[in-house]
Amino acid sequence: MNLVLRLAWRNLWRQPRRTWLTTGAMVFSNVLLVFMISLQFGMYRLMIENSLQAFTGHMQVQARGYIDDKKMRQSVPDIVSLANELREELDGGAVAARATAFALASSEERSYGIAVFGVEPQFEPRVSNIPGLVGEGRYLESNDAAEVVIGAVLARNLKVGVGDELTLLGSGRDGSFAAVVADVVGIFDSGVAELDRTIAEMPLGLFQDVFYMHGAGHQVVVNAPRLGQVAEFRQRVAALLPDDADLVVHDWDALLPGLKQAIQADISSAVFMYAVLVILVAFSVLNTQLMSVLERTHEFGIVLALGLKPGRLGRLVMLETALMGLLGLCIGALIGGAVTGWLGVQGFTMPGMDEMGAKFNLPSRLHPQVTVASLLSGPAVVFLFSLLASVYPALRLRRLQPVEAMRAA
Amino acid sequence: MRYATTIAALLLTGMACHGAETSPDARAIVRAAVDHWRGVSSHSVMSMLIHRPDWERSMTMEAWTKGDEKSLVRVIEPKKDRGNGTLTDDNEMWTFSPKVNRVIKIPSSMMGQSWLGSDFSNKDVARADDIIDQYDHTLLETEDVDGITVYEIRSVPHEQAAVVWGREELRVRDDHVLLEHRFYDQDGELVKTLETLEIEEMGGRTIASRQRMVKADAPGEWTEIEVISVEYEIDIRDSVFTLSNLRNPRD
Repeated sequence: MNLVLRLAWRNLWRQPRRTWLTTGAMVFSNVLLVFMISLQFGMYRLMIENSLQAFTGHMQVQARGYIDDKKMRQSVPDIVSLANELREELDGGAVAARATAFALASSEERSYGIAVFGVEPQFEPRVSNIPGLVGEGRYLESNDAAEVVIGAVLARNLKVGVGDELTLLGSGRDGSFAAVVADVVGIFDSGVAELDRTIAEMPLGLFQDVFYMHGAGHQVVVNAPRLGQVAEFRQRVAALLPDDADLVVHDWDALLPGLKQAIQADISSAVFMYAVLVILVAFSVLNTQLMSVLERTHEFGIVLALGLKPGRLGRLVMLETALMGLLGLCIGALIGGAVTGWLGVQGFTMPGMDEMGAKFNLPSRLHPQVTVASLLSGPAVVFLFSLLASVYPALRLRRLQPVEAMRAA
Repeated sequence: MRYATTIAALLLTGMACHGAETSPDARAIVRAAVDHWRGVSSHSVMSMLIHRPDWERSMTMEAWTKGDEKSLVRVIEPKKDRGNGTLTDDNEMWTFSPKVNRVIKIPSSMMGQSWLGSDFSNKDVARADDIIDQYDHTLLETEDVDGITVYEIRSVPHEQAAVVWGREELRVRDDHVLLEHRFYDQDGELVKTLETLEIEEMGGRTIASRQRMVKADAPGEWTEIEVISVEYEIDIRDSVFTLSNLRNPRD
């Protein structure tokens, strides 16, 4: 084996230019793959994290059926105690209770239908970044003051500013009339048009009072420390729920089904592109190896005549490709990792990023993230397909007849 | 469209041959039914029962109407909702809540929303007369139920009409009492049905005294309106239908 390996290595450098050219194709595609996969998955992670951080959270405890019907009566009883309990059991984790209702918000001049959320002012900042995005005024402070915080677009539509009054009109949990006049104390600008246009937040205590909730709410938002721990946390939360109440825990992909679908659609179109790239490289390898086998027909005839087994010759050719592939993999991953890593630290931007960013909650500067998976998955596939491409030239050798081969030019 | 008119014409001539005295014109029947229900003016007390599979809620309301366009509805009971009301005038609607002491105009985007939490939409309440002006009416059938003639009418909105329905179907007795009113969406699917459960002699007229609105996709959810008392053709001042009266009742 050692001999074959040495032979293969020497054979590669009999035609250094050809070897470098083929390796170059591999390196190029590997660098591209490392960069694109790093960028892509970095972007997905950002998309998910930013969308969830904005408002939804990693998971929510809700009454069964609420996720589909969103009816006000499908509520979680005594929601504040439940949230406190979960918070304690999860070692002071990010847990906050909310209640929500549809309401008509009107200022002196205009009226709009919006979603009103009752939130716990002291815990909400741990599960949502809206409190941190209050640009004008301040976030809610007490649990029952007649105060609201609204989105920037809504504020503009209603023509209200900090300090103005807002009237909210809706139906309470028991169907009776719910109405309140509250002071706008803050305006948040999340950059997500949907949130900025349709959401108002008020203290949970006030909400429960106005909408006759009798201590109930609609969702307990729970965040795991990392996105990867969501499944584990979900099980812990589910185990902590009281048995008698009909409650369920939904994780983020149930709460925001559109997000996962958008990502999956993007992955499938990217996979198609990667496949084209890998197949092109594989054909270039096939071409090179076939040529190198054909031009050595005479030489192979001699070694066969000397008693070398055809199978060993085949292995030699495969090994040549493997060595070349390994070279391409190492150099490609090295350069790809270095370039991507540098761009990850520096960040970069593309034309049209602002628009896309607004749609998927992405910053306008991108920072691709190099991980072991993004560094090695693309090059590994290129390596594998190159090997596959050399199977045909290697197999040809098995049918080689020594005498005829030696007569070949 | 041409087919529809031809068929309609055929049907109408057919009716004319059958009809003994006058040829019943579909549009006139609808017009008469709406007029009969509302009168030139009316003042009534009604109760409204909102039923859901797991809860129920009832309200008592006082209502005034004048002409086709003006109406005022005010909640009397339950006590905590007393004084809440809505005023409609020519497709516009305002609502008042004593809790916040404010009159709020309902934006047109909210007209499809539920009225006072019931299965009636704001539009149902504000635009009762749209069906006369903005629809083409066809008499589908005339049947005899216990000696009373019942007309089955299909009403299709004009192309430009600002209406969410694809078509509506009405069953009206020849004494102008509406028996059933079905609302279909643009795809021809039944969305909701208003059915008359009781007919009584009230305020000098025979009227549908108890009606129920049922959503087609949720048969367990309905809203029932029962007329407790009603007076027709009384003198109601225009000042009743003003925002200041909605806010501060003067009666």
